[in-house]
Amino acid sequence: MRTLSYLLRESWVNMRTNRMTTMVAILTTAFTLACVGIFLLLYVNLRAAAGWLQDDIKIMVYLDDRLASDSIAAVEQHLRGDRAVASLVFISKEQALGEFKAQFPSESHLLEGLGQNPLPASFVVALSPLSRSPDSVKRWAERVRQVAGVSKVDYNQDWIDALATVIRSIELVAIGIGVILSAAAVTIIANTIRLTLFSRRDEIAILRLIGATTSFIRIPYLVEGAVLGALGSTLSLVMLKFMYELFRQQMRATGRFAGLDNLMAFFPPSVCLALIAVGMGLGFAGSFVSIRRFGEGKA
Amino acid sequence: MHSKSPGTIFDGKTTMIQLIHVSKQYDQRSALSDVTLEIDKGEFVLLMGPSGAGKSTLLRLLIGAEQPDEGQIFVHQKNVTTLKPSEIPYLRRKVGTVFQDFRLLPKKSVFDNVALPLLVQGVSSADIRRKVTEALRAVGVEHKRDQFPAGLSTGEQQRVCIARAIVNGPVVLLADEPTGNLDPVLTTEIIELFKLINARGTTVVVATHDPLVMTQVNRRVLTLSQGRLLPEQRGLA
Repeated sequence: MRTLSYLLRESWVNMRTNRMTTMVAILTTAFTLACVGIFLLLYVNLRAAAGWLQDDIKIMVYLDDRLASDSIAAVEQHLRGDRAVASLVFISKEQALGEFKAQFPSESHLLEGLGQNPLPASFVVALSPLSRSPDSVKRWAERVRQVAGVSKVDYNQDWIDALATVIRSIELVAIGIGVILSAAAVTIIANTIRLTLFSRRDEIAILRLIGATTSFIRIPYLVEGAVLGALGSTLSLVMLKFMYELFRQQMRATGRFAGLDNLMAFFPPSVCLALIAVGMGLGFAGSFVSIRRFGEGKA
Repeated sequence: MHSKSPGTIFDGKTTMIQLIHVSKQYDQRSALSDVTLEIDKGEFVLLMGPSGAGKSTLLRLLIGAEQPDEGQIFVHQKNVTTLKPSEIPYLRRKVGTVFQDFRLLPKKSVFDNVALPLLVQGVSSADIRRKVTEALRAVGVEHKRDQFPAGLSTGEQQRVCIARAIVNGPVVLLADEPTGNLDPVLTTEIIELFKLINARGTTVVVATHDPLVMTQVNRRVLTLSQGRLLPEQRGLA
């Protein structure tokens, strides 16, 4: 117990002794991790948006105009028997015309000129959550296109594909920037610990001579690195939250993206804790790198 | 010279330290050359010789701080030359070391400095308090326990260094030029302290180039010259 309290006290003493270096390390780590956090936050929100769009996707299954009512029933039965289908609504030719007129009253005369109703009957299909990925939707649409009596299957695939591409790009950029900036955070903390090790090299030599094991000597520095990392990532989350709230407020004030600010979300507590743990891990790694470089025989 | 296997009892004595044909070079300069010696348990040995004779190298070899180029070294029945790096700290817990420059931690109190060897071994708080108090009393600086090294005289600093070396009851005490920074009066006091520690059963090896020490210790003297061990003599009473 006394040994543990000694080791923790030593970590605290190290940080206090090199107060300025410690502060700079925490701040630079915080800024570095905040940069990663911005991309992560963007990625999380865009993924959520993609999820909502995907959830909301409605597939239009247009029927052949010459289809008799019993064939329409057969198509309906086929669709209802499909496990990928969560719900479906039949829109008759008349309903389709009524909806068109309701939505585009000034254009309704165009259809009247044709003499007969050109709009086909259709089923509006919502897929089950497991079948809503872009690939699943695509496969399902191709399959249904082959069903007798179906003339066309339509859905806003372009939109979804474009969003998926944007998300993939942001994911790649976030990973790339994340790796580079995490390496930077490790280097910053490694240098801070190296300064501490250098300033305490005499003490380390004495500890070795009186029989301290390598782990006894290393623990305070590893704890120090982990604490610096955790404090840096906590501060980065505070900075991100502040920027996030400011951004939402700006959106509300301008009124250009009304309602969108309510859809935006900050990291949930579990992700915040995970990010702090990641910061702690990076700090630990930085400290470990420094101790190894300082010399196996010394620390 | 009799040749015993390390750590065995011979003529009622036990070998505590044994060097067998040990050589050590630094940058092709010979620091120790074919040194063979034995020190029995409970002995008080002076390791004499001018600066650069190889005294410090020999002490560093005994605690595994250096490895010899040739030969075998045994301390307390352990072959130091074959110990893994992870085993060396446990050897050092059996061997107390006293330095010429004291090597006390300036930001820790006398008590905390002396407590360090116990802390690294995970000794309980109550035992630390008891053992540190005993060690400080043994070297006569118990009243300085809360002071910091900078507030102590050189003699007191050396006493604290000795207290730190004996606090965990080592089987061997090695002292490298322990009186190098002390005046003759303090030298006498420190040597008396070593005699007292030796009288309690600890094997003591004092490396020194100070002839005054030899005049005060009527014990076995090992002399090194240019890394070679000269024929043995005794200190003057």
